[in-house]
Amino acid sequence: MDTPALRATGLVKEYRRGRAVDGVDLTVGSGERVALLGPNGAGKTTTLLMSLGVVTPDAGTVEILGHRLPRERGAAMAEVGFAAGYLPLPNQMRVSEYLRMFGRLYGVPDPDRAASDGLDRFGIGHLARAMGTELSSGQKTLVGIVKAVLHAPSLLVLDEPTASLDPDVALRVRTGLRELCADHGTALLVTSHNMVEVERLCERVVFLSTGRVVADGTAADIAERFGRDGLESVFLHLASLPAATRPTAREGTAA
Amino acid sequence: MTASLRRIYAIAARHAYVLRRSPHRLFDIVMWPAIDVVLFGSIGIFAARRATGSGQQVALYLMVGVVLWHVVYQAQIAVATGFLEETWSRTVLNLMVTPMREWEYLTGVALFGLLKLVAGVGVVSMIAWLAYAFDITSIGLGLIPIAGLLLAIGWAIAMFVVGLVLRFGSGAEALAWGILFVVMPLSGVFYPVNALPWVLRPIAAALPTTHAFAAGRAFAGGGPLPWHELWLAGAGTAVLVAVSVAYLGWMLRIFRSRGFITRYL
Repeated sequence: MDTPALRATGLVKEYRRGRAVDGVDLTVGSGERVALLGPNGAGKTTTLLMSLGVVTPDAGTVEILGHRLPRERGAAMAEVGFAAGYLPLPNQMRVSEYLRMFGRLYGVPDPDRAASDGLDRFGIGHLARAMGTELSSGQKTLVGIVKAVLHAPSLLVLDEPTASLDPDVALRVRTGLRELCADHGTALLVTSHNMVEVERLCERVVFLSTGRVVADGTAADIAERFGRDGLESVFLHLASLPAATRPTAREGTAA
Repeated sequence: MTASLRRIYAIAARHAYVLRRSPHRLFDIVMWPAIDVVLFGSIGIFAARRATGSGQQVALYLMVGVVLWHVVYQAQIAVATGFLEETWSRTVLNLMVTPMREWEYLTGVALFGLLKLVAGVGVVSMIAWLAYAFDITSIGLGLIPIAGLLLAIGWAIAMFVVGLVLRFGSGAEALAWGILFVVMPLSGVFYPVNALPWVLRPIAAALPTTHAFAAGRAFAGGGPLPWHELWLAGAGTAVLVAVSVAYLGWMLRIFRSRGFITRYL
């Protein structure tokens, strides 16, 4: 059996305001496309940040392609690409310069070629010479995704990647990501509030609520288990429940 | 080129772009050094004309002091503001999710900072030469180890500032510029520390900068290189660097464990 792209077990994180993540187990298989969903404050971003080694969990372990964090962080990060829809581009750099910098950081042998290929893959080759200040928020997001895939990572982590994109650009992103995953066997872990997008892009969905995994399966399975007609309906149902009454993964049945 | 060198080069190049496209950053490299040398050079000339005997060396002390001070200043400010640039542009998270190690980042910023240091000290030296006929190169090679120690001290102070910013966020940013104005008077940059109020002298004596500047003054005054002061400065610098590295590592662990990255999302 292949080593999972990501294996996080028993993740716990407590902040002063309370427990953000409470015993999350999350595995992303090699080449698998997984969505991490949940209402605001469910613990999605904290789980992602712990999975990337940026936040240290209070308990639990994280392995990326078998590399244990934080001890083997360098080797693990060489296999990971990351982009978030809310992160800007530096104002004082051109797109090509920004991508070249990250290409070098990731050890890409020919970063300019990789940047050019990446920009073309997502249909924004014409932006190579643009400054960060000249891009729309959607274009910045696309450049961020190109940055994340420069080194053909084994695991691509995307936090709200299409939040600021028009439907046609979001479609282009989904197509590009699917191609990338197919071409390179890249595993995908993505958070999104767009349930339709998740159903189209991901094979498996992990639902978080109040820091716990409350459902894990295909979109159709989860909808059926909760007695709903789609992920959006499940999402709205979970978000409407008082925190104390939300189900755990084992109890994740129709309510 | 090894992977580490490529990453270091990538960071140095990133900061070269920032400087090229942000002309106001040249204030740290050109404007403040120019103002300092005109201020202290003129005070020195004014005082020297009214002094007698060894008091006439005040101009020399001030000029040597201002040139050496800018070694500490430029080294510190380049690394500290280099890291602040990542926080302002919200690049911290993207950088943390790469194979780059912390020392590679600091080395990249510090190496580019060396270029800024050469430019800043060059401006000071050039104005001192043109406006006050003070040629720093005529003092001798003995200034090189002193400048080397001051460079390491500047980097150590910068690591301390970066640690504070990691721990306390943007509230600590002012220290990137302000901390040196605490160090400066206590280090006897322009005068022997026995000119300080007695209560401050023990603090001054504990600073490696104090001994480095004392060595610089003594050497510039025509004496032999004062090895005793250099040794004290070297030992103090080694301790300061070790403490700064340990402090930065500690603050980085707190940054990760408390999830302070969310300040920069």
